[in-house]
Amino acid sequence: MRRALLDLGVTSAAPLSRIRGVVSIAKRSDVYGIWLAEDIDSAADVFVQAGIAMRSAPTKRIGIGMTIPLVYNVSTIARASAVLMEMAPNRFRLGLGVGSVRGLARLTVEVRRPCKVLRETSEALRWIYNGETVTLKGECFELDNYLARYRPRFTIPIYLGVRGRALLRFAGRMADGVILSGPIRYVEKAIHILREEATLRRSAGSPRVVFWLPTLVTRNKADRNLARTMAATMIAGTPANVLEMTGISDGAVDVRRTAREQGYDAASEYVTEELLNNFTISGAPEQICEVFQLLAKLGVSEVVFGPPYGREIFRSIREVVRTWESL
Amino acid sequence: MKFGLGVNANESLRHIVKTSIAAETLRFDYLWISDSPVQLYAPVVASVVASETSRIRIGLGLMSCLLHTPNQLSNALTTLSDNHGNRFDLCIGVGDRRQLRRVGIHTGTQKLPLGVLEAKRRIVSHLNDAGIRAKIWLGAQGPKMLRIADGFDGVLLNYSKPEMIAWAIEKARLRRKPTLAIGTYSPSYVHLRPDPSILQMAKVSSTVVALGTAGPILKNFGLHEILRRVRKMADSSPTLEPIVQAVPDDVIEAFSITMKAPNLHEYLTKLKLLGVGQVVFSYPQSYSLTTIRELTRALNY
Repeated sequence: MRRALLDLGVTSAAPLSRIRGVVSIAKRSDVYGIWLAEDIDSAADVFVQAGIAMRSAPTKRIGIGMTIPLVYNVSTIARASAVLMEMAPNRFRLGLGVGSVRGLARLTVEVRRPCKVLRETSEALRWIYNGETVTLKGECFELDNYLARYRPRFTIPIYLGVRGRALLRFAGRMADGVILSGPIRYVEKAIHILREEATLRRSAGSPRVVFWLPTLVTRNKADRNLARTMAATMIAGTPANVLEMTGISDGAVDVRRTAREQGYDAASEYVTEELLNNFTISGAPEQICEVFQLLAKLGVSEVVFGPPYGREIFRSIREVVRTWESL
Repeated sequence: MKFGLGVNANESLRHIVKTSIAAETLRFDYLWISDSPVQLYAPVVASVVASETSRIRIGLGLMSCLLHTPNQLSNALTTLSDNHGNRFDLCIGVGDRRQLRRVGIHTGTQKLPLGVLEAKRRIVSHLNDAGIRAKIWLGAQGPKMLRIADGFDGVLLNYSKPEMIAWAIEKARLRRKPTLAIGTYSPSYVHLRPDPSILQMAKVSSTVVALGTAGPILKNFGLHEILRRVRKMADSSPTLEPIVQAVPDDVIEAFSITMKAPNLHEYLTKLKLLGVGQVVFSYPQSYSLTTIRELTRALNY
């Protein structure tokens, strides 16, 4: 059976000690890479964090998954990624996504055409890294005779965080990889769309598929409650069209309404076992690894463990990593 | 007087690290890492440099408040300080308008000084919340921007001619706040024997600064007309090298510290008398270990 690679995930909002701990475990194990999710409300610079992780775990892939082109000037994404690429050629991966509607609303940013934003940003980055002088008036940025002076001559793998059909189709044609997050039932359909579209690519092959859902080791009732709250958070943030693709939209109605009106803790009361298993990967380390294996069968290339990991964070990570290594 | 070396974030990371280690070994007080839309991103470069050095203070900037939000700037300083200690300063300002235009940022009608001051206030507020100590400098040239200088810990002037520095200090009454640090940050080439190719680099770097200089200063020092013509040429070319020939030597003199090593002492004495407490020797002085050592010898004269 094809085996997926195991990555660890951490958000930019995590305390420094947690990021260091995650990096340290990755460094000492068979973990393939680390993904840093940019939390736009955090007081951290995700590019600096990625650089530090890169130095601390010198053989691991480091990815930013994802950063939002609407939050930065495209030139900033280009040159921050360029330093990371120069630090460790072939180890850096750049994830781009349009983020959650709620998060962007807080920053008073509106996304009208997410597909266009991702396409233009990916294209502009590729041209910049190719050393071209770029002029492009895009949906969320403008470049006029722009030429990077740091003399780039490389390619940075671009991973797109996508969910809906249109974005999946676009990613299938253009992206080096995709970061999928959504109900497990949806994965099969999403990968099917990606592969179908990949036949239209100029180059051979399909994008690599990274699957990232809240994952946590549960040992008792309190852990399972945390898992339900995580599931409620995910359900509330999943676009309706993605829920429809999986046929579980009816069950999610109460969760979404309660999350909107009373918050995620209250909404977690409505998370059924089916919803829990679709929107989190939780349970004993062996159960989590079983789901990871199932995802590999569906065509996922990399699975990401964490956050929230479980109540005892480092113990949970070590247990999952050891279990995965022993399979 | 404190001395800083400005590194050019167009160079390879390896070169920047080598330069930074040399600057620390040669006992420079500061290393300033420039940040513009066409250069490597200064905070990540600063993090790499901080990992390879232990003492030298690292300045970020000038970082444009129009290119980065106050949150992004304070996030960068917070992450750097959390990981490497309180070794960082930040210089903010508007930045090179010509380069900002290239990335879709048009500065035309905005009330820029007030915006920069507000950005500083928000950055300091975030840093205080995070318990980070860092000096915030204003990078400025024109009289309007200089008027807000006393809201900062220090001001870095982007020209080198003592007459221009004196004019700025006088015009913006920079001495009215006794704790305000005054520094200069200029393209530099202090040499024992000039290398024509590095002289040319100094010319290109000073042309970049000159082209971004505010009208009133240029008018006051009789440089307006010539730079208006150069600016027109520059607008239609992504690189400056082909048009540098049109820039006269007095422009280079006004915007760079380009001189023979034995003349540096007299120049620095003039700046000290004006109240300048920090001089940053920017690119191409950091071009090679030889050019850095030549500067160190000049400083030790």
